[in-house]
Amino acid sequence: MKIVRLLCASALAVLACAFDAGPAAAQAGTVTGRVTDASSGQPVPAAQVRVAGSTLGTLTNESGTYTLRGVPAGTATVRVLTIGYGESSQPVTVSAGGTATANFALRASTIALNPVVVTATGEQRRVEVGNAVSQIQAAEVVERSSVQNVGDLLTSRTPGVMVVGGTQTGAGVRVRVRGTSSLSLSNNPIYVIDGVRVEGSTGSSTVSVGGTTPSRVGDLNPEEIQSIEVVRGPSAATLYGTDAANGVIVITTKRGVAGPPRWTYYTEQTAIEDRNDYPLAYHGWTAASKPNNVTQCTLAQRAAPAPGNCIQDSVTAYSPTRDPQATPFGRGYRQQHGLQVRGGSESMRYFLHGEWEDEDGVTQVPQFERNYLAARGLSLLPEQRSPNHFGRITGRANFNITLPRNSDLAVSAGYTSQDLRLPMSDDAGTAGIAANIYGGPGFKHNINPTTGDSLFGWREFTPRRVYQAVTTQSIERLITSVAGNTRPAEWLTLRGSAGLDFTQRTDNQLCRFSQCVGADTLGYKIDNRANFFVYTLDAASTATRQFGRDVESQTTAGVQYYRNVFNRNGARGNQLPPTAITVGSGAVKFADETTSESRTLGGYIEQRVSLRDRLFLTGAVRSDRNSAFGAQFETVFYPKLSASWVLSDEPFFPGLGFVDQLRLRSAYGASGVQPGTIDALPYFSTTTLLGESGERPGIVFSALGNPDLRPERSTEFEAGIDGTFFNSRLTTEITYYNKLSRDALIERVLPPSAGTGGTVRFENLGEVRNKGWEGLVNAQVVQSDAFGWDMSLNGTTNDNELESLGGEASIVISSTLRNVEGYPLNGWWSRRLTGYEDKDGDNIIEYDTAAARSEVFVSDSVEFLGHSAPRWEAALTNGFDFWQKRFRLSAMVDYKGGHMIYNNTDRIRCASRNNCRGLVDPAAPLDEQARVVAVRQHPSKTVAGFIEPGDFIRFRELSLSFDAPESLAARVLGSRQVTATFAARNLGILWTRYSGVDPEAFGTTGDAPSSFQAFAPPTYFTFRLTLGL
Amino acid sequence: MIHEMKHTLRTRAGAPWLRRRSRRAALAAAVVLASGIAACDPGEILLVEDPDIINPADVQSPAGANAVRLGALARLIAATSGGTAGGDNIFLLGGMFADEWINGDSFIYRWEIDQRTMTSDNSFLSGTNRSLHRARVGAAQAAELMAEYNSTAPGWQAAEMHFVQAYTVNILAEHFCSGLVFSEVVDGQVQLGSPETTAAAFERALAHANAGLAVATGAPAADSARVRHALQVVRGRILLNLNRPADAAAAVAGVPTAFAYQTRHSATTESNYIWLRNIQERRYSVGNNEGGNGLNFATANDPRLPVTASGVRDDQGTPMHRQGLWPARETSVTIVGGVEARLIEAEAQLRAGGAAAALLTLNATRRAFFTAAQLPDLTLATTEAGRVDQLFRERAFWLFGRGHRTGDLRRLIRQYGRSPNTVFPTGTWHKNGSQYGPDVTMPNPSAELNNPNVQQLCIDRNA
Repeated sequence: MKIVRLLCASALAVLACAFDAGPAAAQAGTVTGRVTDASSGQPVPAAQVRVAGSTLGTLTNESGTYTLRGVPAGTATVRVLTIGYGESSQPVTVSAGGTATANFALRASTIALNPVVVTATGEQRRVEVGNAVSQIQAAEVVERSSVQNVGDLLTSRTPGVMVVGGTQTGAGVRVRVRGTSSLSLSNNPIYVIDGVRVEGSTGSSTVSVGGTTPSRVGDLNPEEIQSIEVVRGPSAATLYGTDAANGVIVITTKRGVAGPPRWTYYTEQTAIEDRNDYPLAYHGWTAASKPNNVTQCTLAQRAAPAPGNCIQDSVTAYSPTRDPQATPFGRGYRQQHGLQVRGGSESMRYFLHGEWEDEDGVTQVPQFERNYLAARGLSLLPEQRSPNHFGRITGRANFNITLPRNSDLAVSAGYTSQDLRLPMSDDAGTAGIAANIYGGPGFKHNINPTTGDSLFGWREFTPRRVYQAVTTQSIERLITSVAGNTRPAEWLTLRGSAGLDFTQRTDNQLCRFSQCVGADTLGYKIDNRANFFVYTLDAASTATRQFGRDVESQTTAGVQYYRNVFNRNGARGNQLPPTAITVGSGAVKFADETTSESRTLGGYIEQRVSLRDRLFLTGAVRSDRNSAFGAQFETVFYPKLSASWVLSDEPFFPGLGFVDQLRLRSAYGASGVQPGTIDALPYFSTTTLLGESGERPGIVFSALGNPDLRPERSTEFEAGIDGTFFNSRLTTEITYYNKLSRDALIERVLPPSAGTGGTVRFENLGEVRNKGWEGLVNAQVVQSDAFGWDMSLNGTTNDNELESLGGEASIVISSTLRNVEGYPLNGWWSRRLTGYEDKDGDNIIEYDTAAARSEVFVSDSVEFLGHSAPRWEAALTNGFDFWQKRFRLSAMVDYKGGHMIYNNTDRIRCASRNNCRGLVDPAAPLDEQARVVAVRQHPSKTVAGFIEPGDFIRFRELSLSFDAPESLAARVLGSRQVTATFAARNLGILWTRYSGVDPEAFGTTGDAPSSFQAFAPPTYFTFRLTLGL
Repeated sequence: MIHEMKHTLRTRAGAPWLRRRSRRAALAAAVVLASGIAACDPGEILLVEDPDIINPADVQSPAGANAVRLGALARLIAATSGGTAGGDNIFLLGGMFADEWINGDSFIYRWEIDQRTMTSDNSFLSGTNRSLHRARVGAAQAAELMAEYNSTAPGWQAAEMHFVQAYTVNILAEHFCSGLVFSEVVDGQVQLGSPETTAAAFERALAHANAGLAVATGAPAADSARVRHALQVVRGRILLNLNRPADAAAAVAGVPTAFAYQTRHSATTESNYIWLRNIQERRYSVGNNEGGNGLNFATANDPRLPVTASGVRDDQGTPMHRQGLWPARETSVTIVGGVEARLIEAEAQLRAGGAAAALLTLNATRRAFFTAAQLPDLTLATTEAGRVDQLFRERAFWLFGRGHRTGDLRRLIRQYGRSPNTVFPTGTWHKNGSQYGPDVTMPNPSAELNNPNVQQLCIDRNA
């Protein structure tokens, strides 16, 4: 405790000393100038102009001009950095009270890497940073591809980041950076927007629709984002503090540029289609099938000896998804209209944005249901006819204000108001749409035993009943921040910021009286209202000193305070009267309340040294205390070291004409993940019971707690080489990383005999290692006015291993997932289906208790079958420019592999829905039959045959965009800019080893999701028009 | 004044005197700020309170002790006729393991139990095992707190806590394999137990029953009688398990036939999970001659077990039988009753060679609830084995669905010399053509291996 306090104080004391120790302020002058494109002479707006060796800096305005005031008299180096251009600098001599001019004509770089990156201590030149930095120029991507959410922005655009997207409109995404590190805590990265920590949880809902859940990252509007940087691991994330071990997603929203107002209107019109081939259900007919059609003759029964055998007359196959009358999939539609304006003066710049968005998913009312309802004069309510719908209004206002005396103020506010409707899907018990599709009988006209109606091949419930359960989530979210900085001297910057991310989430689920299925027909209403507050306070000071010509020093000290508060009130009313839709009208009511809070106080100090502008060294340490740490644990320290060496600038480096720049870099750092707020505490909780004298409250023992709890601690080393070649036409990055998470918090399963309410308690036991390689190649293969071809290839390997379980042999997570020392986290484990042989040659695989006659072979014990997370990922993007870059065609394919997927959908179809091909069809391949026999008849009941290689190549994106010539834009539409883009997202699987519907058909966002009765991702076809007014 | 100063600053910025002044001002501000932070206590800044939890110190009072007592009773309800989301209870699982219920859904872990091929990783078993221990440990905690902070409470309240412990220890021993572990939580610290044999577990249960009977007094009289009779019956049940039928009969003497110790259910507290899983969800269907040896529960047309056949199970492929004993979410369940006392007496009579007396007891029990037209008198079976079958069939129908059947089948093996394949379901399993396994006990859950005192989960898998 004292150490943190001391560090906090010393940070400011250093600052205070810096004031006093600094040289007497020199006489100052002004530098002004204009930054233009060397080839076109056009101004370059929003370029960063800095005085080397100081904290002085500014941005160019719309006309490319800039003014730097307070520049110490003497010789200074002015440096210009901006995306799309090579770095440029020139010396300038400043006289006291005078004005010097430094104009820059920048040479365009063919590879658009941003030379400036955002770090925890502020912006920094990319070349100075010792770790790999991934950047996504979101504004450009959004304008030229089909992007619906932040997950789409992150997918396959940068190495080391794995994104598993949702499969329905409004579904959340799962993001993993450099593998999975934590056994029991969240593996989500943290999100920082304009310096403010924001809520980014997955599975963010309190009402179930069977797996699909939103994530709070989905609330963010990609249209408002200028760029995203991915801080991949502790080597870079140290100064972000506890919780940053899983990486940091740093989002910078768009900013104003000084100049007249620039209005931009855009619209997107998108068609959404589910083009996946869902599996056929099979039925083996026999004489006994009639009259109820339930009885069928399977392959095992065909082959069984009398009297248990049967004669299979025929096999039918059917899926409602392939029948135009019965399919629930139609054409979804998404539209979006937005208006932005940016501009301002030297003293105030602004960016304003507003957008309306509406998306109706692919799930619709099938034709046979419409016929049914029409014939009876019935109808569904509008929200039931459109069960998967998303609507959103967003607004943002960002202001940058220049204050007197070298001070700036940035005020940002973004507001989101959205409503999401999700249908019962996936594994929503017996009522899910997907469950009723996958579980169909294998023929079209199965009969509802209660009503006598045809179910059109649906298992038990059809959409008109399923859709009657209306599930909604409403979000009202405000992310706001105020950040100020001042430079009282040319060598000193003070900055401070405060921010709040407030989210109000309302989850509703309603089944009206006599609607829905089962007991739900009595009616119920759930209304759960939650508030999330994330507060950020940040203060830091940076002192810069130049020692001679060659050495530049920068010292930063700061303190940060985070506070997360979550509170929720839940209410449920059961047994609603007719027409009632409120909780209060229920005959039986429930209420609950939840509150949790976490606070973190941290301080850090960082020292950077630049030697001859070629070698850059950084050392830092951060200290954190958190309210969730155990009583026996006080403060945690995270160190950081990094080095970047521009080898090609050294005199001894041979003059290789094709090498523009070659840089070696390395970084080491530590970070952590904190446990939950009350994980360290022993406690009781409340309950109720109906006793002899009525309903009474009681208290039960819930948690043992663990006073020794401390955060997980991850340390990471990375090293890499960056190269720029052939006049910037080729850039390469290669990085090796090695991350070890110690004190891994493991949910140690408590012996049942202990009788605790909680089944687990957190203990710091394990060690998890993630290591691998990341590579990036950007190339401008062909470059001319008539035709250009650029290519980007990124790839990642990840070797994940649970190195220690602290003496535990293994942790059984489920019947198929285990954590075992020496194996990857969340590995697939089962008794292996080692082989099969059709010994009697009847083309039917059979099990026999006599080993000599059995035709399936299963290992005697449980074995490791494979990784649940991809070990290799790669993405290749090719872009082609035509007609002076007026047309651009771009395509992205990506690959994920080295992992296994549990095809749990086929498992349940074969094991209990009795409709998979391997169970029924004599023409089914023998391997399909073998896995059925293993799960149904072999004593092991092993599901190993359904755990399949998950490798695939997906055609992820295709886009064609057209930038109209300015003259044409002005003449036809009276606009400054006209850009039209046709784009498609998820055009299908080009190759896969997986037999299920889609290797990314996961309804849930857990770390090892099985594909269980989930929909596959749909395809988006988008037309976008952007008008610069 | 402020306006004037700002104006001055703006117009004279850059003057040397101003830079000196601003540096001093900034220095002073930084020192003040540093002092402020140094003075602040991070412990206070980081202090949070969670209103959702109750600290251990907060139950150290008469009211707290009483609330923990009620919590233990809630735990008992959840472990027996209630349940938890996604889980079942010992009544359902034990009945499915035996022949009372057959599986109606697609959950592999339920299949394992129905098919007698259980693994120690079975989440339904571990959940149910844990649930029973929660009730047991909760009752022990309550007894400890009551003794220390609520000593003036009527004796029957402490006795009821002993009843909960006796009942749960006994039913654990009836279902799970030898090698049971009973840990304790004392002053918030877990004291992990070591494996015990089934017999030792019954003795442990007996000790709790004895302790409870010693203090089952106090007002109101109805409550002390209720708890005393419950303790008598569970004591008789334990003694029967210990193969001491005469002592068992003596233990239950005086318990009225109409006595019922019930777990109660409501929509707002705990649902009746037998209703939920059978009638509502169709995951369990009433058994009918399951595996050859099973009784014809579904088709016997016995008024003690009304059964309705309609529709199909959750698996959409097999016929569904719903019981009528617990037709609603709110229906109470008699977990201990006077009928069981009479059945214990009848068994003691039969074991003592009094077949006729046993028959009289059984028929008298029938008459206590049904007319002869509804449920005719039994006639004496001609063989000893037949009379045992008769007795156990009576127990099966009277006590259906309340956690007795597995214990009874194990007693038939252990005490009456039957072979497992003559009492448990055997042969081809009813769902997919595979075979029943050999299990006659449930394995202790693998999670118990996290107890360092446990090296193997079962000392003995036999009955």
